[in-house]
Amino acid sequence: MHGVKRVRYSREALAAHKERERAKLKEFQGLTAEVLSRKKGNDFDKESFELTTRLLHVNPEFYTVWNYRRRILLNGIFPTSTPVQINDVLSDDLSLTTTLLKQHPKVYWIWNHRQWCLRQVPDGPTDADPNGWRQSYWNKELFVVEKMLEVDPRNFHAWTYRRIVLENMPVKRPELSELAYTKRKIEANFSNFSAWHQRSKVLSSLWESGKRDKFKSIEEELDLVKNAMYTDPGDQSVWLYHRWLISLGDSKSVVDREIQSIEELLEEQPDSKWCMESLVFYKRLLLRSYGESLADEDRRKLASDCEELLVNLQRVDPDRKQRYMDLSQHKL
Amino acid sequence: MGSTLNVPLHVKYIQSLGENKDDLIYHMTAHLRMNAVYWGLTALCVMKDKDALNREEMIDFVMSCWDEKTGGFSPHPDHDAHLHPTLSAIQILIMQDALDRVDIPRVVKFILSLQQESGVFAGDEWGEIDTRFLYCAVNALSLLGHLHELDVEKTVGYIRRCRNFDGGFGNREGAESHAAQVFVCVAALAILDRLDEVDQDTLAWWLAERQLPSGGLNGRPEKLEDVCYSFWVLSAMSILNKIPWINADKLTAFILSAQDPDHGGIADRPGDQPDVFHTLFGVAGLSLLGYPGLDDLDPVYCMPASLIESKGLRKGWTALPRKASV
Ligand SMILES: [Zn+2]
Repeated sequence: MHGVKRVRYSREALAAHKERERAKLKEFQGLTAEVLSRKKGNDFDKESFELTTRLLHVNPEFYTVWNYRRRILLNGIFPTSTPVQINDVLSDDLSLTTTLLKQHPKVYWIWNHRQWCLRQVPDGPTDADPNGWRQSYWNKELFVVEKMLEVDPRNFHAWTYRRIVLENMPVKRPELSELAYTKRKIEANFSNFSAWHQRSKVLSSLWESGKRDKFKSIEEELDLVKNAMYTDPGDQSVWLYHRWLISLGDSKSVVDREIQSIEELLEEQPDSKWCMESLVFYKRLLLRSYGESLADEDRRKLASDCEELLVNLQRVDPDRKQRYMDLSQHKL
Repeated sequence: MGSTLNVPLHVKYIQSLGENKDDLIYHMTAHLRMNAVYWGLTALCVMKDKDALNREEMIDFVMSCWDEKTGGFSPHPDHDAHLHPTLSAIQILIMQDALDRVDIPRVVKFILSLQQESGVFAGDEWGEIDTRFLYCAVNALSLLGHLHELDVEKTVGYIRRCRNFDGGFGNREGAESHAAQVFVCVAALAILDRLDEVDQDTLAWWLAERQLPSGGLNGRPEKLEDVCYSFWVLSAMSILNKIPWINADKLTAFILSAQDPDHGGIADRPGDQPDVFHTLFGVAGLSLLGYPGLDDLDPVYCMPASLIESKGLRKGWTALPRKASV
């Protein structure tokens, strides 16, 4: 149970509450017994189907009832229906899940049923256009999921579902539009780590397929991140993403340039833990990857900078003191 | 809210859960009953009061949920079998030393039948996939002594493809890192002796950053703290031997502040309604933090450490040393 406030009832209020619950409980138990007994009897008729609708409205987490509902569809309803009728039934079931998701956006079982329905969509509307129904459903799914991400831009289920939708559309959406979508989400809120994450996946795929030049887009991304760092330097998302970008390249000049830019930010925000943390990481990266090409004096300076930063980090972020001490101990 | 753990009250709370049969919520959560029994029993074991629930009744309940048709366990009689309650059932039976009641080969067959081409596991025949189910399968097969029947490379391959740039893992390929999924992936890799697949520095950093100024832990960047992450985050940290990277005293205080001082039980955060799920993950977190008077919990299997050790399954995790007093 998440986010349900503890309430202290008076004796009278508790009794009244119990009384109200009793009626609901009786209805729920009666309905449950009826549905489970029909399920046991492999009853796949329309009436049983309607009963599952009623029960799922009361309790959409009752996954056994979703399973039974699908068995009724597969064994009782689809075999005697035309493709048009099947399509209509599925369309109704999708509406049912839309209604339920509005009240219960985090219930896995509703999302599962929705996906199952979409997998069942028959060919049609015509022989010439066998993907027509499917494509229009998946287009609508993308719309639904964007609505949900407008309400809660971090909804884990909605993001997962978004990826499923993009994978399953008969006519794929160009990945560049997804890249643009993540940028819109990020620019609306730099702390939207879900969008940064999605962006990392889309970019990787674009690089792999050669649709984007890796080196050029890393530079563009570093620009985007810089903007975010200056807007909200207290947010971990951007720093994680920045670290990833740097790890992809193999260029001392890029690391040097990024260190310089973070040092400028640190001057403005002298207690910024993320600036310090990142500086330690990149300075150590220089020592590790390019140490041999550095002058002794530069090497010593980098090492002593790191020491100093780690001492400061212990001060500004005492909860994670031990980590900074461990990093200090582990010389390269 | 109390600065100490009120063990007797929490034991009473867990005992009372089976007695609320006129509560709507009790019936509405029947699909989680098997899991709830496991959560309650494990919490009692950690609080050293395993016998507070009747052993025979519990075993009978678990066996009444075995589904002869599929070979798996359902969460409640007349519900459908699923991998998650199957793991809970096996964990309960092992804690109650009653595994001899089970047709092990049939359960193993049920579990293995759910592995997909990609290496991940589905929860049941309807095909929902999730790294949670992969962990359920790996954990259960290991407890049953049948891990050798698993295609380890295929399984590890899937986990590898779920790894993200922040070092964490998602619930499936492409998904964002989330502490609960980090736990299931890291624990599965620990059971399979494949922790080399983890980018330990990056992941331990990400995990340490889950602690918020309140002392509580969140599950993803910029989200709220929640007691259940005391286990998801902390168990992964203990497997990576990095619990000292967060402030243990503040986390302890946060968990304790989420206790219900009147009726017992622990909630997701202070002032909220307690439930058995957060009660287990609260005391599990406290056990890993070395809270005095508790029994050691194995973070990989989320079961009593002594039991896992006696089965020869202990992996190389470290919890904080048990304190002598508060
Ligand atoms: Zn929680």
